[in-house]
Amino acid sequence: MKRYIAKRLLQLIPILLAITFLSFAMMRLAGSDAVLQKMENTGMVLSQDVIDAARAELGLDKPFLTQYFVWLGNLLQGDMGVSYISGRAVLPTFLSKLPATLLLTAVSLAMTVAVSIPLGVLAAVRQNRLTDALIRAASFVGNSLPNFFVALLLMYVFAIRLGWLPVISREVTLPNVLLPALTLAIAMSAKYLRQVRAAVLDELSRDYVMGARARGVPFRVTLTKSVLRACMTTILTLLALSIGSLLGGTAIVESIFMWDGVGKLAVDAINMRDYPMIQAYVMWMAIIYVFVNLAADLSYRALDPRIRLGGERP
Amino acid sequence: MKRRKRVLALLAAACLSAALLAGCGGDGGSEETDGAFVLGDTTFNAENEEPDVNPHNAYSGWACIRYGVGETLFRWSDSMEIEPWLATGYERTDEYTWVITLRDGVTFSSGRPLDGQAVQACLTHLVETHDRARGDLMIESIAAEGQTVTITTAEPRPTLLNYLSDPYGCIIDMEAGVTEEGVVVGTGPYVVTSLKSGEELDLVKNETYWGGTPGYDRIKVLTITDGDTLTMALQSGQIDAAYGLPYASYPLFENEDYTISSCATSRTFFLHMNFESAVIQDDAVRRAIAMGVDKERFVEDLLDGNGYVAAGPFPDSFSFGGGAVTDRDYDPEGAKALLEQAGWVDTDGDGIREKDGQKLTIRYLTYPSRQELPLLAEAIQASLGDIGIEVVVNVTADHNSIRVDPGAWDVYASAMVTAPTGDPAYFFTTHCLDDSAVNNGHYHSDALEAQAAALDGAFDPAQRAELAVAMQQTILDDDAFVFCSHLQMTMISRADVAGLTAHPCDFYEITADLRPAA
Repeated sequence: MKRYIAKRLLQLIPILLAITFLSFAMMRLAGSDAVLQKMENTGMVLSQDVIDAARAELGLDKPFLTQYFVWLGNLLQGDMGVSYISGRAVLPTFLSKLPATLLLTAVSLAMTVAVSIPLGVLAAVRQNRLTDALIRAASFVGNSLPNFFVALLLMYVFAIRLGWLPVISREVTLPNVLLPALTLAIAMSAKYLRQVRAAVLDELSRDYVMGARARGVPFRVTLTKSVLRACMTTILTLLALSIGSLLGGTAIVESIFMWDGVGKLAVDAINMRDYPMIQAYVMWMAIIYVFVNLAADLSYRALDPRIRLGGERP
Repeated sequence: MKRRKRVLALLAAACLSAALLAGCGGDGGSEETDGAFVLGDTTFNAENEEPDVNPHNAYSGWACIRYGVGETLFRWSDSMEIEPWLATGYERTDEYTWVITLRDGVTFSSGRPLDGQAVQACLTHLVETHDRARGDLMIESIAAEGQTVTITTAEPRPTLLNYLSDPYGCIIDMEAGVTEEGVVVGTGPYVVTSLKSGEELDLVKNETYWGGTPGYDRIKVLTITDGDTLTMALQSGQIDAAYGLPYASYPLFENEDYTISSCATSRTFFLHMNFESAVIQDDAVRRAIAMGVDKERFVEDLLDGNGYVAAGPFPDSFSFGGGAVTDRDYDPEGAKALLEQAGWVDTDGDGIREKDGQKLTIRYLTYPSRQELPLLAEAIQASLGDIGIEVVVNVTADHNSIRVDPGAWDVYASAMVTAPTGDPAYFFTTHCLDDSAVNNGHYHSDALEAQAAALDGAFDPAQRAELAVAMQQTILDDDAFVFCSHLQMTMISRADVAGLTAHPCDFYEITADLRPAA
């Protein structure tokens, strides 16, 4: 097991090298740079001398490969650089945005699990009845609505019409996180509950369920002790994927609610061609996906001892 | 054991629910803004080079002056004429020397009186640290005595007062210094208490303000970059006023609950002709384009009336702008006739004209970061299509690298603030002359070069205005540029707020006049 974990962690190194190089290259292909973006935003015109001097100051006048290896060399010495836009150190800036993203991830996942598992199970148990049809219809609607639209709709209802919650959720507090988390939870729940329903239906059709029923085991017990446990692998896979993307920030939702997380930071950085900040974000994404997938694999093993990891012997 | 776990889980769930529900109560606002005036603004952030309120840093002077922290020696009147502000007057003793008299009884919010030494220290620091200011002001020396400062420039600088009115010219107390967050001490009606770059700015009333009693005890400026969020924040009452709302939101506020203040600014949307392009070198094609652009339709239909039709680079709030020049009338029939005369005829009936086997196709370059530019591209594609010119549009964020290649485009559409210091020279020196930084179309006019040289040496504002009109007419007559629209700057506030007024220079927002409506 330890060897398996070490191997997976070692795989992170080539992944990080490849992904940072690719993102560095892609940002150059996208054209423009931080100096020109700032000039465009202010609506002013700078002389070529001033532009060249600003580029030289940021090291943007050097060849692409030189820029990448300078960045990599600094990284290996623990220096992630300075933001081209704010002039502040990248690492503390990035870390300061993490609490907001972590809270949003936790609350939206909690909401998603609280809604999608009971409704998914209920839809499966009541298959082809009115309850099932209603839940599936709600899931269809939830899946069809884009996040930005749901966000604006929720703002309109809860902030403007009812006045219960704020439109702008800048401070990292529980009341402020409710609307952005609910926005995310609606889309995720719509997707999850269909998966949960399918997984539960699959389990319900197995012989052991019929056997338990024949032996007089109450259905509720079979459902909670056996069926749901068997479905946990599917649910965990979904959760692992969602945690990965949520920890990477949800740019649109964070931007709309002014929620100060890493997703908004990344979008702002991309718009402004703030390469050091983009690199920090890309590394964060790679790390969380590797760790979350590793955690999911380990939990599969815990849930189902028949599963072997990385060539483990039975 | 199992029961205990279950009880603990239930307790944890109950605590979380209670915490969530507790947060749901109240007025819906978690920001501590009770009693404060709250302004939502899209521009106060590092992306706009306004990371703080230190006027000696990038474009942060805009935030310093807009939010009532700093004031300049001279300012712009509503009719865009220079008038004294922290100064009471000036005397130019020769082409290099300006003696400026300061207003008596002005103090910084730190309590320090404003005198010649304070201004000298501030301007000295400005030109030491701010590249743009150093290049603009060309100050060689500053001397202070009592309530006067004497500025000597390295070269004749007719526009010195314009540059001193730029937001970077806000006079700040250098003894109080600049904090790590970029907070400064100015003479304005409000004093900064805290600043979170790109997020919010907290202000309190300057109790010793020289220009009257400010209307609010506390003000909070929130940076809200998403237009829809800004709209809903104003609708919900979380903010009291907004700057930078999307045009589509305006109808929501056109009622008695809100006050709308708008004016034309010198941010202008315009076309550059590429004189290296064979098709654009044809005078008839350039003139036909100028005659074929339906500016009225662009402003009315695509901008929903939220702009002003432009004749030249400057709006009519300037004495040398608006109707002071004559542009080409929208005349599609005239444009068609002109093209016919020049030999551009649609021989194959596909709606696009040809000449010597070459189709009349224009490669149109623009960029998406200003929402109006892609709309302008669509409007021009349609209206030039009507007169037989095919327009191939390239809307790209990479326009800066493409526009420097004269072989890659025919017409380039951009937006810029044409007169940031209220003086006409800036537009011409950056766009129209042989050595201009962004004369990417390589336009050249002997007449314009001579007029620019005359403008360089002209100190009299009336003479400068006269030259500015002549220079605009030169480039319009050459059809070197087509000016389509000026941006309408709008601020919307709740009806219980008075004194938030849009100004054509876009510098002044929070002033001592801002107060609760009577």
